[in-house]
Amino acid sequence: MTAVIQTDRLTKAYGSHRGIVEIDLDVREGEVFGFLGPNGAGKTTTIRILLDLIRPTSGRATVFGIRTDGDPVAIHRRVGYLPGEFSLYDRLTGGQNLQYFANLRGGVDRAFQAQLIARFDLDASRRFREYSKGNKQKVGLIVALQHRPELLILDEPTSGLDPLVQQTFLEVMREAVADGRTVFLSSHVLSEAEKTCDRVAIIRDGRLVRIDRVDALRDLAAHEVELRFTGPVPVEPFTALAGVSRVSAEDHVLRMHVTGSIDPVVKAAAAYSLTDFISREPSLEETFLAEYGREVVPEAGRE
Amino acid sequence: MSSVIGGSPRATAPHATMIVRPSRLERIYGLGGVFGKTLRDSRGATIVVAGIAVVILVAAGAGIKAAYPTVLSRQELVQLAASTPAIFDGLVGRPVNVGTLGGFVAWKYGVVFPLLAGLWSILALSSTLASEVSRGSMEFVAAAPYRKRRIALQKLAGHITAMAIAMTIVAAGAWFAGKAFGDLPTDAIPLQAAVGYAVWLGLTSLLAGSIAWALAPFLGRGAAAGLAGAIMFGSYIVNGYQSAVPVFAAPAALSWFDWTAGHDPLAGLYDWASLIPVALLAVVLFAIGAGAFARRDLGAQSVVRLPGLPSALAGIREPTGRSFGQLLPSATGWGIGMGLFGLLISASSRSFADEIAKAPDILRMIKSVLPNFDVTSPGGFLTLVFMAYALVLAGFAAATFISGWAGEETSGRLETVLSTPASRGCWAVRSGIGVILAILLMTVMAAIGIAIGSVSAGGGDIATPIVGTFVLALYASAMAGIGFAVGGVFGVGRAATVVSAIVILTLLVDFIAPPLRLPDWIHQLALSAHMGQPMVGIWDWAGVAACLVLAIGGLALGAWGYGRRDIGR
Repeated sequence: MTAVIQTDRLTKAYGSHRGIVEIDLDVREGEVFGFLGPNGAGKTTTIRILLDLIRPTSGRATVFGIRTDGDPVAIHRRVGYLPGEFSLYDRLTGGQNLQYFANLRGGVDRAFQAQLIARFDLDASRRFREYSKGNKQKVGLIVALQHRPELLILDEPTSGLDPLVQQTFLEVMREAVADGRTVFLSSHVLSEAEKTCDRVAIIRDGRLVRIDRVDALRDLAAHEVELRFTGPVPVEPFTALAGVSRVSAEDHVLRMHVTGSIDPVVKAAAAYSLTDFISREPSLEETFLAEYGREVVPEAGRE
Repeated sequence: MSSVIGGSPRATAPHATMIVRPSRLERIYGLGGVFGKTLRDSRGATIVVAGIAVVILVAAGAGIKAAYPTVLSRQELVQLAASTPAIFDGLVGRPVNVGTLGGFVAWKYGVVFPLLAGLWSILALSSTLASEVSRGSMEFVAAAPYRKRRIALQKLAGHITAMAIAMTIVAAGAWFAGKAFGDLPTDAIPLQAAVGYAVWLGLTSLLAGSIAWALAPFLGRGAAAGLAGAIMFGSYIVNGYQSAVPVFAAPAALSWFDWTAGHDPLAGLYDWASLIPVALLAVVLFAIGAGAFARRDLGAQSVVRLPGLPSALAGIREPTGRSFGQLLPSATGWGIGMGLFGLLISASSRSFADEIAKAPDILRMIKSVLPNFDVTSPGGFLTLVFMAYALVLAGFAAATFISGWAGEETSGRLETVLSTPASRGCWAVRSGIGVILAILLMTVMAAIGIAIGSVSAGGGDIATPIVGTFVLALYASAMAGIGFAVGGVFGVGRAATVVSAIVILTLLVDFIAPPLRLPDWIHQLALSAHMGQPMVGIWDWAGVAACLVLAIGGLALGAWGYGRRDIGR
């Protein structure tokens, strides 16, 4: 697949303050790419460089093969952008704001715009300053979506949206992807990325610590396995297995953490009489916290 | 471990919580509470207002020492002031004991101080609550254990304290000017006079601010500031020009400048009782404003719901229209103010001509300084009375437009705009043209006011002053050009501040260069010195060229700068 976004040792320093350090990204056409990290990790800095709102200190970034600091207008023509924090024109109505940004792009498909307004249940006749936070976010989303961009760059898109509108947003995004569009989505809400993304990159302290498929990342964390035996609990055969840790026994129940393949545990358990076998798949959030949440990520963890 | 109730130290502090009270340093730094924070936010304005006043006081003291050093020269000054037509009372002040240093300062520069300090109070008190509400920080403050009334009163107390500090500095400056430059025995400004003047100045300024404070919860900060400014300016005008324009006599009775006309401490006149109604009215208006803030919903700023702008005027087609549409309310406000000012002055030209006909000495004196035109014509009178102030107002208008233009970036809107296929340079130029259009709108409204006034005065040549009004657009565009360049190259955060500072510096140079007899090249540094006398058809083409270079060059430099720097928030 063609790379829609590519960065090569992308670095931004704000004087003595850290921005991002040598970020290498490769976002492919038609995928939903999650850009994850805690607050202040450098997600927004990266996005702003992709849109040429700020310039890198070193390294380079291309979008659709175009250098971001070369011809940003050509990039902007094909991009829909929702900033993480934004403000629009307070005295204009929501509809006038949408129209202005449509006009800046030389016009949009009015029917599609109206469809988005209806789907997001936005009252476009109210002034922007009168909107709630969620409604302002809806306006921002429609601004980003209304011209059917080839690439959507969304910084914390569901911030302030209620669960129903979040659902609508996810539907609209899936439709965009089904249409062959690419989505670059920044978030610190891992469950959101888990539901929507094909691949995710994790950034921390300005450095990229991992890029992988969502399911591969999930495998990083240990499965929580619980075996319920009809008779006495056999501890020894399980503690000796590869990838098994934190084994504990209580009454007829044996609990353990299993990293990697669960197959040896299943085979070992088959030798006994069981009343239950529970294996809980870790969430991305648990993976993230387990892997990167509480300790400094070693260099070896980088890809 | 079981807990022990009673008798144990843990019973009084079960979680070993230690509350750290705000330190003295934090309180001094302005982080101890609402009052301290307000005072902290006012420090820049306090220094600017007090600084300008002290510089003018000292310069005026030095000026009278240099220009009128002897008793005889002072007598000539008194005679000159006495023969000044009453119409000049509005332009300068009432001539009372002008032979003394204090009387001279009050007469020559009395106009500036109350309008300057009053404007500060209006801007501060109209926005101190509203700006916190609009940026969302008031939600946090109101959620703290304070009643809303207490928040309002602490905000108010912060501003009053800032005003008191500024006035203390003004009083010290007046006393110092008398001490340092008073050659004659009558020149000393006693402490009582300095304090009396500062009290008057502080109270009248606070009254102007209290109008904005009382109106802001009902009208919103913009309308409240505009209305309070109009009332203050109108109050000053009807009082100053009532003797020359009879129709002003009735409304002048409502002017606090008229109420306190007998209190001129720098000139040796005291009427402390006249300050009581000023103080009482201010207290009543403060109570209304605080009460309204406490009773109304947080964030409910306006009871007057104006209809939204139609799309054609709102400017939703492209950046020039959007920039103009965004500035339309403030451009209209400035235009109305300038138009009314121009209307008033041009309508008074007939009265002036009649008055000055009775004072041939003054006419001769003016003709010796301005030999090229007839000062009794509408254009001549506008040159004499309107232009200097109008240029200052146009400069400040440009600063507010630049502030609005900069808001596109500081608010974060520009980030979304520049994610469209609008290039940075293109946006900078097109939005800048929107600012110039706003300046043109303001100027056209000023010209309309002058045209109506001139027609009502029955003056002769009306076309020339109308065309001449456009020098305001040139001057304001030049100031805006400086703002574009600063904003584009260095960032928009300080662009409006730089423009305001240049306008203030120009004003100071205009004020202090002549009395201090500074070298002419210093006065020539002020762009306002190169504007010619366009109201009578005399254009300074070098000044016009300078304005165009600054406007166009500034816009081009700003666009270049925008192309090179990071876009901020």
